[in-house]
Amino acid sequence: MSKPILEMRGISKSFAGVQALNKVSFRCQAGLVYGLVGENGAGKSTLMKILAGVYKADAGDIIYKGQPRLSASTGEVIASGISIIYQELALVPQMSVAENIFLGREPRTSLGLLDLGRLHARSDQLLSRLGVALDTRSLVSQLTIAQQQLVEIAKALSQAADLIVMDEPSAILAGSELDQLFDIIAALKAQGVTIIYISHRLEEVFRIADEVTVLKDGEVVDSRPIGQLDRHTLVRLMVGRSLDEIFPQTDHEQGDLALIADDIATDTILDGVSLRLHAGEILGIAGMVGSGRTELARALFGADPLTRGEVRLVGEAPHWKTPSQAIRAGVALVPEDRKSQGLFTALSVRINITIPILSRLSRLGIVRRAREERVVSDAQQRLSIVMTSPEQETQYLSGGNQQKVVLAKWLETAPAVIILDEPTRGVDVGAKFEIYKLMRQLNDRGIAIIMISSELPEIIGMSDRILVMNDGRVAGQLLREDADEERIIELATLGGAEAQSA
Amino acid sequence: MSALGGSMRRGAGGRALFLRRNGPLIMVYAFILLLVVIGATQSERFLSERNLANVARQSAFLGIVALGQMLVILTAGIDLSVGSLVKVSILVSAIVMNGESANVVPAILATLALGVLVGLVHGFLINELRIAPFIVTLASLVILKGIGLTISSSPVGKASREVMMFYVQKVGPLPVIALMFFVLVILTMLLLRYTVFGKHLVAVGGNVEVAHLSGVPVKRTRYGVYVICSLTAAVTGLLWLSRMGVGDPAIGDGIELQTITAVIIGGTSLFGGRASVLGTLGGVLLLGITANLLVMLGVSQFIQGLIQGVIIVAAVALYKQEGD
Ligand SMILES: Nc1ncnc2c1ncn2[C@@H]1O[C@H](COP(=O)(O)OP(=O)(O)OP(=O)(O)O)[C@@H](O)[C@H]1O
Ligand SMILES: [Mg+2]
Repeated sequence: MSKPILEMRGISKSFAGVQALNKVSFRCQAGLVYGLVGENGAGKSTLMKILAGVYKADAGDIIYKGQPRLSASTGEVIASGISIIYQELALVPQMSVAENIFLGREPRTSLGLLDLGRLHARSDQLLSRLGVALDTRSLVSQLTIAQQQLVEIAKALSQAADLIVMDEPSAILAGSELDQLFDIIAALKAQGVTIIYISHRLEEVFRIADEVTVLKDGEVVDSRPIGQLDRHTLVRLMVGRSLDEIFPQTDHEQGDLALIADDIATDTILDGVSLRLHAGEILGIAGMVGSGRTELARALFGADPLTRGEVRLVGEAPHWKTPSQAIRAGVALVPEDRKSQGLFTALSVRINITIPILSRLSRLGIVRRAREERVVSDAQQRLSIVMTSPEQETQYLSGGNQQKVVLAKWLETAPAVIILDEPTRGVDVGAKFEIYKLMRQLNDRGIAIIMISSELPEIIGMSDRILVMNDGRVAGQLLREDADEERIIELATLGGAEAQSA
Repeated sequence: MSALGGSMRRGAGGRALFLRRNGPLIMVYAFILLLVVIGATQSERFLSERNLANVARQSAFLGIVALGQMLVILTAGIDLSVGSLVKVSILVSAIVMNGESANVVPAILATLALGVLVGLVHGFLINELRIAPFIVTLASLVILKGIGLTISSSPVGKASREVMMFYVQKVGPLPVIALMFFVLVILTMLLLRYTVFGKHLVAVGGNVEVAHLSGVPVKRTRYGVYVICSLTAAVTGLLWLSRMGVGDPAIGDGIELQTITAVIIGGTSLFGGRASVLGTLGGVLLLGITANLLVMLGVSQFIQGLIQGVIIVAAVALYKQEGD
């Protein structure tokens, strides 16, 4: 066997008493793709952040390119040929696309000034390699998160690294962008670049990885060549038990009409969308990134003003124009970008979950702590949230557990209609199953669910009906029985009219 | 096709976007114009060369520090100590100079060194001890002020003849001091647009965590910006010496608030990550012209304060409306 490019030996790390990693060893040969999988909170991101120089390990060695590396700053690590795409988007919103791509490594002229020409030209090149048409001068704050993710990938590529870590890069990509990403990974691999790929989508791991390492509770469970694994075994290694049924079966009946949207349009991209939602059903919304799915969710929730059309609950006049009115009417939205829209990252899990229902939990304005704690511990058990205590700040939870906190918060408001925008993004297989079960339980209570998702198996497996968006309009509707991946992709890419004539 | 079609059409509205982003800035300058028109019609002296030169000089005194303040605010920091530092700077330079031409260079060097030192101390406390900039510079405001009043509570030292002449020198109709400010405005614009340091200021203010992860030398950037800001205060102390001729300990009070006001009026975000040099220039001119006009029209000091407050709220409301 050739010498490894990276060897991490006996790495341990704890945070305020939580053992995030316990004697983890991990090695990579140059030019291979390594899958790193495990449940939420297993320690995947922490291991990579130690590699990146963000955290310092409590114990253990890192040997990179044959050299032991003790501690290094993030800048030194990047300079040594390791680049990292972080799970949480790491871009400065107020800076342009190009400035972000080269942040920390700006091209300079011979005078030491910023070389704006080269900055934009090289950014353009990188983005076109990814097959993305973006103005390198536009501010990152104006991009959708999928576009931001692509900028992140371009940033990692720009570093011409020998080792690239991708921490759930696919969580917000879909369809063609995902294919684009895999093509890039294949090309990088051919150039001898090593890739560490973290994902909860096991199909992806099987598609690209040469070897898979499974982490569980901060320890390595196993490390095997992909050839010696099947999906079933991998899930068992990760979760510690078999999960036969990913999508819970249902046998409920469609309820009464609950919510009606008629020909709604907004300033953003929505251009005349109508839909009907029944109590106790799941309406799946599929479509490419940028097709208006998130915009639809925002419009239904009153977050973007309607320029045309109306949204109402059956039997009531349309009466919400803002999110807070929508919440009072019984409509909840779990947004896709939890960091900026769903969570108070600097506040505790407890506050995050109970904030919308504090008045229900208090008497005379005084919050009754015991009731509050009961709500939180119920939520923790129901969603199996991994945390040190209810007082832990949500910024220190692993990505998947943050998502569960956001869900828990909205479930507490007991809405009649709940809109889930990418509800299982970054959530591990076990927890996904929990979330699916929970959605079905909500259905049984008569709650209507709109679920936006980029994962077609999830859309097909969970939805009673599927609405496919294309360019701000409904390209088509499918019943669960008639839906398959091809049909959805066809509608999503071609739009309704073309798909029909095709 | 790519799923990104939605975003590409955003490029088409380039002009509309320009207007929307710069609308408030245009309003600030329109307001300045309005003030000038009011001044010209209400008072004969307002448009006299002498008065305009005065307004230009006064704006420069405020503006130089405002530029430093803006850079600090861009990094999501703040520097409350600039006023006190101006005070100590005028005192130190006056004492070292002591009226002698031979001492001019040592006095300037000593004052600039003082500025560098104060900036480094700020940087150290903020970077290494992780104390919030507000606290660090608030302490420094109090301490420097105390030092100033300990040095002397009555005017001390003396400027040399050349230094005093510097205040009235002109290039054509333009006072040299105003010209100096103008050059600094241009340099700051270039700094933000064409230098790596400038981009790092934005990154640190925009999201310090991201900056760190990207390998931006966050600490060095902070040291740099606090040193620059303190230097602008030290330079302004020297300019005050050239105006007053002596080390007057009454100089400097309140400059921190005025500079912050000018920066905010100019549309720079107090939360960091966004700054506008032209905006700050507008803010400085707006404050300078208002003050000049109010004095000229014989409005009382208290009402002046009131009017300044209204201007701040109006400006910030404007940016909130149109800036997002
Ligand atoms: N800065 C921190 N402070 C305290 N605890 C932390 C910190 N970072 C991570 N942890 C804890 O360490 C554990 C491992 O977290 P990590 O983010 O590495 O998980 P992960 O495997 O990446 O999960 P996910 O799939 O959800 O992203 C979790 O229990 C988390 O709460
Ligand atoms: Mg993670």
